[in-house]
Amino acid sequence: MLPPLLDELKAIRTLSIVGMCKNAGKTTVLNRLIEWLDGRVLGLTSIGRDGESTDVVTGTEKPGIFVPEGTLFATAKDMLPLCDVTQEIVCATGVPTPLGEVIVVRARSAGFVQLAGPSITSQLKTLSALFFSLGAQQVLIDGALGRKSLGARSVADGVILCTGASYDMRMEKVVADTANICRILNLKKAETLPKETDLPLADALKTAHEAQISGALTDSMLLPLLKSGALKNARLVVQDPSRVLLSADTFDKLALRGVTLETVDAARLVCVTVNPVSAYGWTFDPDTFKAAVQCAVHVPVINVKEAIA
Amino acid sequence: MISIGFDDRVKIGLQYVLDSLHLSCPFGQERVRKLRFYAPDERKELETELLNTERTAAHASALRDLFERITTVLCQLKDIRGSLKRLTEGACLDSVELFELKGFLLRIAELGPLFDCMNGTVHAEGIAFSDPTGALNVLDPEGTRSRGFYLPDSASETLRAIRAEKRRLEQTLYAAADAEKDAIRAARTRVCALEEDEERRLRAVMCAALVPFVPPMLSDADAAGRLDLLIRKAQLAVRYGGVRPEITETTLELTGMINPELADLLQAKGRAFVPVSIAADRGAVVITGANMGGKSVAMKTVALHVLLFHAGFLVPAKAARLPMLHCVQMLFDDAQSMQSGLSGFGSEIVRFNRALSEVEQGYSLFLLDELARGTNPDEGAAIVQAVTQHLNGLNAISILATHYDGVAEFARAHYQILGLKNVDPDAIRTELSAPGADGVAVIARHMNYGLYRVEGKADCPKDALNICRMLSLDPAILARIEQAY
Repeated sequence: MLPPLLDELKAIRTLSIVGMCKNAGKTTVLNRLIEWLDGRVLGLTSIGRDGESTDVVTGTEKPGIFVPEGTLFATAKDMLPLCDVTQEIVCATGVPTPLGEVIVVRARSAGFVQLAGPSITSQLKTLSALFFSLGAQQVLIDGALGRKSLGARSVADGVILCTGASYDMRMEKVVADTANICRILNLKKAETLPKETDLPLADALKTAHEAQISGALTDSMLLPLLKSGALKNARLVVQDPSRVLLSADTFDKLALRGVTLETVDAARLVCVTVNPVSAYGWTFDPDTFKAAVQCAVHVPVINVKEAIA
Repeated sequence: MISIGFDDRVKIGLQYVLDSLHLSCPFGQERVRKLRFYAPDERKELETELLNTERTAAHASALRDLFERITTVLCQLKDIRGSLKRLTEGACLDSVELFELKGFLLRIAELGPLFDCMNGTVHAEGIAFSDPTGALNVLDPEGTRSRGFYLPDSASETLRAIRAEKRRLEQTLYAAADAEKDAIRAARTRVCALEEDEERRLRAVMCAALVPFVPPMLSDADAAGRLDLLIRKAQLAVRYGGVRPEITETTLELTGMINPELADLLQAKGRAFVPVSIAADRGAVVITGANMGGKSVAMKTVALHVLLFHAGFLVPAKAARLPMLHCVQMLFDDAQSMQSGLSGFGSEIVRFNRALSEVEQGYSLFLLDELARGTNPDEGAAIVQAVTQHLNGLNAISILATHYDGVAEFARAHYQILGLKNVDPDAIRTELSAPGADGVAVIARHMNYGLYRVEGKADCPKDALNICRMLSLDPAILARIEQAY
């Protein structure tokens, strides 16, 4: 672990950990973070259910989340019997989940916890505020599978992206797709916002050469415009990185036409972690894999299996 | 017994009033959802409730801040009655349930003194909170009174020893070499299981100790619901004006009553609801007037007031004298009758029969809006005349709205919609002649929906002809109409 990166991680109040796929090593990263941030009061939750001791999909043994005494965590009521920390029930959030209401608990001993938090980003935001009001110094959100809330600033200030061999058997594919996600997460924050307009995108671009996209940005929206040349040197602004649903190919084409893509609101990508071992039986060479990812992204890359310095 | 379906609640504007209350706690919300109408043999209870509401309303503005503080606490109350039921069944509650019980008790502990403070001025009767100290001492033996729930090490010597061992193993684990870790982890898992068993035993002891406190907790939940509704009733009375009805044996007298839903609706359009007054006693009262909606509004507003009164609300009127009733039956124009398979008229008669047999069970209020409106005027008039005569002999207050001729003379009293009675036709004509004037809107503005009592035999109102004149109907047609009158 590089000391500057550690300092950077410590400075981010709310960190979310997002995986490219299952078994990307998210829980390992979370445990590492908890170790690294030892001495601080942490608030811990997840988007939806995570932290099972065995992966329900692949059957592989998964590491549990081990927290020190004093940690605050939010989880569904039915998960509490599966947490072996000594529990102080601090408050009931009123957020319902299929596993019962989300309860905030203070660990009065160290131990294992199972997380199943809210699945709606607005509830996560409220929960983070609650953690801080209860004395948490930093909040970690286990981002679960999928990228629905990927990098939404309303949820977290910083994002750690976890990628690994489980994503695909071909290392080039893992590296390329990871690089694409990083590129989206790293989009520039818009300094100014294009004027709002009711005009169709093509007309708006013709007059202003810039536009704000209210919903998702998709290939089918942009390909005709790319062909017609309407996008040349234009500036497009989306709400946050989760709204960008472009293929790597379209993304490259945009860059070639000089199109700038910006976000209104985005969390910062802090680092990428790699897990060279797949849950499905294959393994990449750790050094080659790490080096390949490092070549493709502009943030620090860490191997989750490596011992920390 | 008074019962009223959701459709009728909506139609008379009762649902609007109930929805505007915004109760704070689940127990108060339940009281509104299952609104209780006091029966004639519960006169004492109703009187108490009405007096409580009147006293609370009288101090509503002076005690505004206190009400605010009370409702803030009420808002935090959760419905713990499921857990209380499980307690009496001997169940061992989990720590989240015990957390909720503790939260409830802490809030009751806050609510008690606040209510005492309020009641020093208001003197409401029949609401009281118990002292939750006993139950709190069970749930919080160390007396921290923190919001959280935690079984402290001091709960038992066994628990203290187990937790000390758990802590020792964790510290060993950090320092241990990898080879020893598995053995320590296994030992730790065993200790965690012991801790869980001991905690469950302690919770079971706690639950047994809580059983005697279940009745006072249930009564506190009920008191919280009553207090919640009382405050909202008082605030409603402040908002729309409210008077405590004097309870009579048979007479119904409502003076200057308004219908909050329509009043708000009209106010949004920059107009005002004209207060309506009506008096009735055993027998039939007939309301006549051109078909402009005023008759229905008057009847619905009567129904609203009578029902609010039976639920212990002050009524939005200047003065009210009301009897306690066995039931309230209303037959309003009902789109649902179309779905029953019968014709509109057929289903109306079926509903009338059903309502009549209910009304015959005790002193009741029977409201009929435009009975037999679908039939031809000759037959319709004959039917309504016969019904009016029959209702006159019934032990009930019946109010019928009709625009059939020759019904009023069979009634005990006759009311008419004021309509355009006192309006200067020249003034309206001047307004109508203004360029771009909307004739219908001008007439609606001058229409008086108030009621007046007709003494002796009265002419039919000639508003339809007046309206034709004002809206400049073809003079040739007008001349023919005038000939026919």
